[in-house]
Amino acid sequence: MAIAIRTEGLTKDYGEGHGLFDLDLEVAAGEVFGYLGPNGAGKTTTIRLLMDMVRPTRGRGEIFGVDCHLHPVEVKRMVGYLSGEMPQWGGLRGRDVVAFVGGLRGGVDSARVSSLAERLDLDLGRRYREYSSGNKRKLGLVLAFMHPSRLLVLDEPTNGLDPLIQQEFYRLVEAAAAGGGTVFLSSHVLSEVERACQRVGILRQGRLVQVARLDELHHLRYHRLEADFSGEVPLEAVRALAGVEDVAVEDHHLSCAVRGGFGPLLEVLGRGQILNLVTHEPTLEEVFLAYFRDQGEPAAAPAGSTR
Amino acid sequence: MTAVPAASSSPVSLVNGRSRDGIMTTVRYGLRAHRWAFAGVAFLGFVSPYASGASYLAAAGTAAARATFGRQTIALGPQLAYLIPLPLRPDTVDGYLWWKGLTWLTLVFAAWGLAAATGLIRNEEERGLMETWLASPLGRGRLVLSRAAAFALAAAGAVVITGLGTAAGVASAKASISFAALLEQGLPLLGIALVCFGVGLAAAQLATTRRGALALGGAVLLALYTLDAVARVNPGLDGVAAISPFHLTDLTTAIVPGGRFDGGATLVLYLIAAVLIGLATAAFRERDLMGSLLRGRVTAGPVVRSPSDNPLLRLPVLRNLWQLRIGLIGWVVGTMVGATLIVSLAHGTGKMLASLSGFNRYVQDAGTTSAATAVVSSIWLGIAALIVAAYAINQTSHWAADDAEGRLEMEIAQPWPRWAVVAERCATLTVGALLMTALGSLVTAAVAPGQGVHLDTGRLLIATGLLALLALTFGAVGALVIARFPRVAVPVLGVVAVASFYIPLLSPLFRWPGWVLDLSLFHLYGTPLTTGVYWTGLWVMVAIVVVGFGGSMAAMRVREVGR
Repeated sequence: MAIAIRTEGLTKDYGEGHGLFDLDLEVAAGEVFGYLGPNGAGKTTTIRLLMDMVRPTRGRGEIFGVDCHLHPVEVKRMVGYLSGEMPQWGGLRGRDVVAFVGGLRGGVDSARVSSLAERLDLDLGRRYREYSSGNKRKLGLVLAFMHPSRLLVLDEPTNGLDPLIQQEFYRLVEAAAAGGGTVFLSSHVLSEVERACQRVGILRQGRLVQVARLDELHHLRYHRLEADFSGEVPLEAVRALAGVEDVAVEDHHLSCAVRGGFGPLLEVLGRGQILNLVTHEPTLEEVFLAYFRDQGEPAAAPAGSTR
Repeated sequence: MTAVPAASSSPVSLVNGRSRDGIMTTVRYGLRAHRWAFAGVAFLGFVSPYASGASYLAAAGTAAARATFGRQTIALGPQLAYLIPLPLRPDTVDGYLWWKGLTWLTLVFAAWGLAAATGLIRNEEERGLMETWLASPLGRGRLVLSRAAAFALAAAGAVVITGLGTAAGVASAKASISFAALLEQGLPLLGIALVCFGVGLAAAQLATTRRGALALGGAVLLALYTLDAVARVNPGLDGVAAISPFHLTDLTTAIVPGGRFDGGATLVLYLIAAVLIGLATAAFRERDLMGSLLRGRVTAGPVVRSPSDNPLLRLPVLRNLWQLRIGLIGWVVGTMVGATLIVSLAHGTGKMLASLSGFNRYVQDAGTTSAATAVVSSIWLGIAALIVAAYAINQTSHWAADDAEGRLEMEIAQPWPRWAVVAERCATLTVGALLMTALGSLVTAAVAPGQGVHLDTGRLLIATGLLALLALTFGAVGALVIARFPRVAVPVLGVVAVASFYIPLLSPLFRWPGWVLDLSLFHLYGTPLTTGVYWTGLWVMVAIVVVGFGGSMAAMRVREVGR
């Protein structure tokens, strides 16, 4: 199988533990790969290294066999790119920005741009500074998707997009993959990666700690549940349930973590007099902390090749 | 249980419904925002008068030497009359220090005021900071007035330091100056800073971007300044020039022996500033955030889904010129207006200047026998050189902004080599500078015969090309600095420009060695219209361009972007 992205010991050391360290990663051609990690984990640094924006301290990265650092122009011919932060285009209209960036690539496919603008519901006639943050992101997506590319590198692509447009974005990603393209998208939202990707790499404190298929990561997902009772808390029955962990009771207040379905737990809780019941999805950082605590791994274990 | 944190835990707390702490917070923030500009202006404010005073004894140690020095300075004055007032009593340290060390600081304080006000409003709106300020329990009026107070405090501090530099400069020449004279000289300096702050604040209510506000406010101030400058060499225009705040500032010459403090003019300056700041504050209360006071209702046009079909946006160089077209038109029109104004007054100005002792020597040095030709050759082309230098510095600031605002990252993400970014910048600057200088020269050639000035077409073409080369020279220095330190490129170029301006003026006065002159980029340009090409200067400029842009291309290939 052809390899779209390959890195070997790719490192960018900003000092004081910041940066990216010893990244060994392979992403197959045609794959939608999620690059997951909390803020500051090194996702954007990885992308900037692949795009030759910043230079590696050591190691190397290549895209479709072409060295990112030695032949950046050739690499960029193959890549559609969405940066984490949109540039400020000031008073230029959206259509001018598209023409300008298209001109840098030697041309722009008007029909494709129109189709993208239609699907993302973006008015290209407005000035950039008048765009909302969501519309700026949509424009970034148009710029990334508007030319045929073998690889899409998208840095937190759905930031600021409303749910309807997010769905359209997922369809664009699916279409790109169906057409044989490869997608590398970074995110700190677990559900987004679950929705769009086939495989994910998890980055923490500058190190790749795991690469896995999505079904292998389902055990990571859990919810926190908190309930207030007017009387006795059915503590023992709750503790006896499979998939319920980290159970704590204080006065008439119960808190616990739930993996899998809520059905058995709700049945048990229903035996008591519930005054209030709240569940929430933990942040990615909380998920990771719980996962690594369970694994007994150090916070920033070296990754090595984990394919 | 309360849902709102206690007032004392908030940076902006309410005291009897008034946000006193909030005002102090914004004043402190304002002072913090001005700290670098304050440091720069205060540094110039101290060094300029001090250096002028300290060097005076070296140039004119005896009474006879002072008399000679005074005559030389009087002769030098007219060629700078479009920039600073004519010298008064340069045979005294106080007079020389006022003319050489203080008068140009008016422009520095004016530029600071304008930039501070447009930055205060529009820049903070563009960066989203204004939304944060207005989300606090602090009214718009109080916000603007507290920030104006912060600027007034910072500017007053810089004026005080300028006074200290003046006193130190006078003392270094073994003379003394009264505190009252220093105070009287400082008041209009603070006044012009506040007026320009008011102009900038008002412009920021009308334009919707920082650059737009800067351009609008700058155009107003440039027009008022030009009026004052023209009146300096055409006394008949004194009455009209009275509407210019720069003219009102020039009227005070308190530290010059026999000079005066014009209290009325100074009071008018402060009144103008108060009115402008008041009007701008009222306008800020009325308008939408990110909007303009004059902006009408937004009419919903048809939704556009297709990219622009403007071919200019797809072509290298032209795409950059198109994006900056409004600014470029401003530069071109400004150059043409300047040429029209100065060249059309060349005969009268030359006649007036010829009556000053020592000017004939200056005319001869300019390589001509006609005072009017000398006005065109040295004064107009000297100013044109300043204009193209300013244009190059402006372009450099755009390059730095491309970096800071993420556009460079987007450009580099496309499949074209990094060095091409620098090459395109160089070509864009060349085309822009050529456009300005060619049209300026066209106007010069058209207007000059009416003033009895007959120009050699070949030499005018050469002078025009060399002006573009001068712009490229400044651009090359900027490109080289930007490759490593993008944030300091504009200040560095400013220092290069100021040093280049002063070296040719001070070199003969202080008898510096000949090679020092070649450190001035303006000296390298020479006076091609009358004395022909200064070949050493030409080759040095070409070398700077090659090294500057070549070095920048090399640096661009290895530098990191977007961190």
